[in-house]
Amino acid sequence: MGKYIVSRFVGALITLWIIVTLTFFLMHLIPGSPLNNERNTSEAVQRNLEAHYHLDKPVVVQYGIYLKSLLQLDFGPSIKQSSQSVNDMLGQGFPISAELGFYSLLIAVMSGIVLGILAALKHNHMIDYLAMTIAVIGISVPNFIMATLLIQQIAVNMELLPVATWASPAHMILPTVALATGPMAIIARLTRSSMLEVLNQDYILTARAKGISTFNIVMKHALRNAVLPVVTILGTLVAGVLTGSFVIEKIFAIPGMGQYFVKGINNRDYPVIMGTTVFYSAFLILMLFLVDIAYGILDPRIKLHKRGD
Amino acid sequence: MRKLTAALLSVLLVFALVGCTTSQSSSENNSGSADSDNKKEEKGGEKILLLNNGNEPTSFDPPIGFDSVSWNALNNLMEGLTRLDKDDQPQAATAEDWKVSDDGKTYTFTIRENAKWSNGDPVTAEDFEYALKRLADPNTASPAAFLANFIEGAKEFNEGTGSADDMKVKAVDEKTLEVTLVAPQNYFLSVISNPAFFPVHKATVEENKDWATEADTFVGNGPFKLTKWEHSSEFEFKKNENYWDAENVKLDGVHWAMIDDTNTEYQMFKTGELHQSDVPADLSEQLFEEGKAQVEDQSGTYFYRFNVNMEPFQNENIRKAFALSVDQQKIVDFVTKNKEKAAHAFVGPGFKDPAGGDFRDVGGELVSPDAAKAKELLEKGMKEEGYDTLPKVTMTYNTSDTHKQIAETMQQMFKETLGVDVELANMEWNVFSDEQKAGKLQFSRSSFLADYADPINFMENFQTGHSMNRTGWSNAEFDKLIQDAKAESNEEKRFEMLHQAEEILFEEMPIFPIHYYNQVYLEADNVEGIVRHPVGYLELKWADLK
Repeated sequence: MGKYIVSRFVGALITLWIIVTLTFFLMHLIPGSPLNNERNTSEAVQRNLEAHYHLDKPVVVQYGIYLKSLLQLDFGPSIKQSSQSVNDMLGQGFPISAELGFYSLLIAVMSGIVLGILAALKHNHMIDYLAMTIAVIGISVPNFIMATLLIQQIAVNMELLPVATWASPAHMILPTVALATGPMAIIARLTRSSMLEVLNQDYILTARAKGISTFNIVMKHALRNAVLPVVTILGTLVAGVLTGSFVIEKIFAIPGMGQYFVKGINNRDYPVIMGTTVFYSAFLILMLFLVDIAYGILDPRIKLHKRGD
Repeated sequence: MRKLTAALLSVLLVFALVGCTTSQSSSENNSGSADSDNKKEEKGGEKILLLNNGNEPTSFDPPIGFDSVSWNALNNLMEGLTRLDKDDQPQAATAEDWKVSDDGKTYTFTIRENAKWSNGDPVTAEDFEYALKRLADPNTASPAAFLANFIEGAKEFNEGTGSADDMKVKAVDEKTLEVTLVAPQNYFLSVISNPAFFPVHKATVEENKDWATEADTFVGNGPFKLTKWEHSSEFEFKKNENYWDAENVKLDGVHWAMIDDTNTEYQMFKTGELHQSDVPADLSEQLFEEGKAQVEDQSGTYFYRFNVNMEPFQNENIRKAFALSVDQQKIVDFVTKNKEKAAHAFVGPGFKDPAGGDFRDVGGELVSPDAAKAKELLEKGMKEEGYDTLPKVTMTYNTSDTHKQIAETMQQMFKETLGVDVELANMEWNVFSDEQKAGKLQFSRSSFLADYADPINFMENFQTGHSMNRTGWSNAEFDKLIQDAKAESNEEKRFEMLHQAEEILFEEMPIFPIHYYNQVYLEADNVEGIVRHPVGYLELKWADLK
């Protein structure tokens, strides 16, 4: 196990370095500059700004400067929002995005799995159709439409909850629900199909023959196998949802880190593009690794290592 | 049972790890929100104006945050030598009085005895000297540094050929500031109301270069002080009791949210969570009909640039043919539907000449739609160039729904009037901006917003090689008129020169205008006294809640 982790760790570092290098040079290939301004400036002003941010140096030199500060875990200053460093942005934005993502995933996983199981157990009955209708709506209605609907109905018309921002628990309900519907639908469908497959297998029949209650069959025997595909996509979902959903965060004015992915690129704010990319990549690599480990625990047939430990 | 526990635990493994990182922040958040709830209860009768800043301010350091997301707020946290009044005229502010030398070049300001910083220190002439030199200093890398070029020696200092000592800003004594200009400028008093010219508290800035990044280190001298700043989320102003004119400040504070989405902003306005909102594009017609949307002028022009170095626009008559085919009034009436004024010249309305007339009214309309003449000019131009068919024309705009609709309407107008098929191209803003500056666009969408309140700010853009020219157009007579106007102390003559320059611009037509900008907004009924200047930033000093 130890060896496995070390080799995965080294692999992760190399992957990260490749991502950093590719992103850095690709980003400098995009036309435009963080210092572009539609307003009037003078040439001297432009030169001073370029010198201030080292943008007057060759790209390779800038790459060297960046790698050096990256090794000290310093993502540098933001060019467009000079009151914050990229470290501050990520440090303040990530916990908020993670909180939003965590609650959404919790709702999505809980309700998705329950819906999936119910649908599988009552296969081709009303409950199945109902659950799958909910799932299809969840998949086909984009979350920004869901968000707008929720705001219009619940916040503006019924005045039950506040419209936007992230000030109190009451403010968190609408964005969490809006963000949860998509993953919930995916999980419900996955659970349903793998549950159906598992329920038709011989060992379930044996269990039934032994007179075990349906509840116990589902909880002890079926779910454990049926949930594997869900775990597979969970790695990607977690990284995606926890690092911020740009659309939801924008609509609800949540100060998470999702906004920086888009704004960074629009503004050609190089340090922000790099910071968000490195952070997201590292996080995704970590999640995929955790999923691999979770496989081993869930399904003894999958071995992460040959022998020993 | 142990296996089941292990299985369940592993399902939650992923969450558990993430949970570690979130638990701390969520507890912080919860305590934070509890606090703010309490405060709201305490506030009770307090007058707190609820505004939206849209985005995180670039910076509250005056020379750095050269944009409206920073300066709209900063304008109320600090104060320059002058402040614009309700009629957009500069009035004594931190300076209580000033004298102008006979040649109109040297200004001697007397700073108010009771002008104080939010930390209680007096505002001194030295603070101003330090701030203005800091604005021009190349090491500050201020995008607004060019505004200081009015002051003698500032341009050289910024370009690296001069020094701070040669820049003619001098604190004569604690309360007397002497500024010498390159040339006499009557609008200088209006220029220095701009946030770029705000003083900074010298001791604070020298001690901590990041002083303007957090509420507790920020020192201002305006009607309000910064009491809370949660980056990318919100910030809060309280009335500044140290402000010299505090008795005329009626609000107790201002809460600024940062909501980037206009629809969300509008919804919050409807539920009373904001006192003010922009108008969502889809609803503007309806809100105008209901009389809810309000309009103020904003000095600036939406226009199109021809590239005079690219065929077929090297020809003046062809440029004019295109310009005369566009009906500006139809565009503002049926496309933008935002109550903008159709533009028939470049300098917007609102600049008074010495005789009291408006520069725009005196100058009149310099380009108006005329289909017959446009056709004639196109034929003439094609003959001059020996064209049988017109070279391909591509009109480029930066990606946005409004720009697209305007461009499509113009495309239709060119087709109907001239029988010319124009191609449309859109580019992401940053790419567009690069290409336009590099002179690679044949015919492109443009905008200009005035930095200071004088027609010369509009006209100087089209001097040969100016960074805002971007057309390749060059006219020696025009250049001379602008240079002379900048040195002219007689206002009547100066305005006359500017009128002449504008006429030359439209005789040769390297650009043509679409509309003047405006500011459209919704405001709650109980809000009064917020001032929006055509040139300048949001003014809350006199704002009140009934």
